[in-house]
Amino acid sequence: MTETLKVTLEKRAGLAVIYTEGYINNQGGEEIARVAYEQIDAGEKALVLNLQGTKIVNSIGISILIEIIEKMLEIDGTLSFCCLTPTIEKTFHIMGLSQYAKIFPDEASAITELTA
Amino acid sequence: MTQPPVISSARPEFWSEFIELTQTLGSERLLVETLLKSLSQQVGALGAALYFDVGGILERQISVGGDLLPVRLDPSSGVGDPQVLRVPGGIVRFRMQTGGDPGLQPAAVATLATATRALLLSERIKRQRFEVNYRGVELEALFDVGLAIASTLNLEKLSEEVLLRAVSLLDARRGALYLIDGEEFTLRGTSGGSACERVAAGGPDVEALLRMETPVEQQVMPGAQYLLAIPIDTERGRQGLLVVADKESRQGVGPFGEGDRRTLGLFANQAAIAIQNAYLHREALEKQRLEREAELAADIQRQLLPAAVPFIDGYELAGWNRPARHVGGDYYNFIELPDQRLSFLVADVTGKGMPAALMVSTLHSALHLLMDRQPLDAELMQGLNNHIWGSSASNKFITLFLGVLDAASNKLRYVSAGHNPALLLRAGGDVQQLGAAGMPLGLFEESRYAFGTVELDPGDLLCTYSDGITECESPLQQEFGVEGLTDLLRSGADRPLPAVVRAIDDAVLEFAAGADQGDDQTLVLLRRQT
Repeated sequence: MTETLKVTLEKRAGLAVIYTEGYINNQGGEEIARVAYEQIDAGEKALVLNLQGTKIVNSIGISILIEIIEKMLEIDGTLSFCCLTPTIEKTFHIMGLSQYAKIFPDEASAITELTA
Repeated sequence: MTQPPVISSARPEFWSEFIELTQTLGSERLLVETLLKSLSQQVGALGAALYFDVGGILERQISVGGDLLPVRLDPSSGVGDPQVLRVPGGIVRFRMQTGGDPGLQPAAVATLATATRALLLSERIKRQRFEVNYRGVELEALFDVGLAIASTLNLEKLSEEVLLRAVSLLDARRGALYLIDGEEFTLRGTSGGSACERVAAGGPDVEALLRMETPVEQQVMPGAQYLLAIPIDTERGRQGLLVVADKESRQGVGPFGEGDRRTLGLFANQAAIAIQNAYLHREALEKQRLEREAELAADIQRQLLPAAVPFIDGYELAGWNRPARHVGGDYYNFIELPDQRLSFLVADVTGKGMPAALMVSTLHSALHLLMDRQPLDAELMQGLNNHIWGSSASNKFITLFLGVLDAASNKLRYVSAGHNPALLLRAGGDVQQLGAAGMPLGLFEESRYAFGTVELDPGDLLCTYSDGITECESPLQQEFGVEGLTDLLRSGADRPLPAVVRAIDDAVLEFAAGADQGDDQTLVLLRRQT
């Protein structure tokens, strides 16, 4: 049967970090968006998306991530990514996500820079 | 972020405020949202939403006043509704408390239409840019898979790489990769969901799957609605299947198109190259292993041959062997006996390579064991025959020429088990052939053997050899022959035996003129010194 993306949220050093495990497709992207928008509605202006548990993302998933980035830009907030596979990182660069969202190699460096 | 100001079409400064908004707001989306908020407030609406026609369905793009209006609408639902305003690319729907006409002023309608048009165009440009970028991702993915294939021979890793790329680039919800395993395809990887473990190869199931016939598709990937399967074909035939299921869009899942089939075909081709490479690599490793084993066997066999020629006062001795492969079925040896006696032999096992080498090993062991226990006579030969007969396949046998030289009396006792006659080149020039007096070893049980005796005079040369020398063929299929060997022996009558051996070696190689050596070649020479 179809597997769905698992999304969890943790607060790390005051930052909202969203963890994913699985395929970021339409269903997975919407689940990430749901959690992200809840955080935006709760006043969060900096979100970190830790994709350590994700090996694969499709175009629908990317378009949803772009919408989240746009939403963050509208509120003068930031969405950052960390722990990307080389394939996903390259995809984000080609698709232009890295122009509007920071990409960190690991969560520690993301937290250090975003809380500085 | 500062909230954008609310503007009203009822005020004379509306136009200038609108123009100001277009210059200050960061996006077309925010402009439309601000207008909707302003106009909703102005007309006393509970909320409003902009819908764009997306594939025949009106999808909500922007909503103000909470979540009052539905996410999707049927395109016909707004016909005749006074709360619905047609705008470029879709509609704006107001939610009035009374359900009546919001009564928008022409200026409000004009600005709303302008803003939604701008938003529509900006969304189109964004989508087109997205699609162009995504083509770049596709090309990069194919390039990366090609690089991965070139840089690793790990089939598991490559299979996963190909599957993940195919599933993501085709926007498939699920995927599976099968590789051939005997009579069926075995699941080697899945992405996004489960798939059945095995699919019978070559049967109707696979053909139906490739034709996208629904009942079988559902067996392959339970719960999937749409499947696309492409065979992974190599020079060795069909090696696997690449299957993806349920093409995603924001509206749900649908079937795959012809472009998707082509893209999946490219990935299947990449997988085929990876599989072919992996097979070739495996075969190369196996070949290396066999070569190492053959080298080891050759080392072992070399140790069965004499490390040095023994010294017998008044005689010269030489021995030489060249196997056709790493190991061979020819064997020669010198065995020193008490009282100035020497035994020597040349043997030839039927066949070549490893099976023949194993029989050589058997002969070597059996002969030495028997010689430790009993005299070297006809009875020993009979025992040797029985041992070989009992320990070899029915179609395997050994020919052998064995001599026992008594250097004190210059007498040579000899026995031949079906071997080529030894050539005794007398000092005077005559050639005597010492022929067979028994059947080859291992051919029949209880074969009998009889020894003959000759006396060796000064200058006499005895040559025992295997048929790999005399039956060596030229490129024109002519044989080197006994005559060729005899001529060389004659011409070497005055030369040391190692020089005679070298001359025979060179002559045989020259005769073969680079043709493959068809059989093992062995030579033992014994000459009574003058």
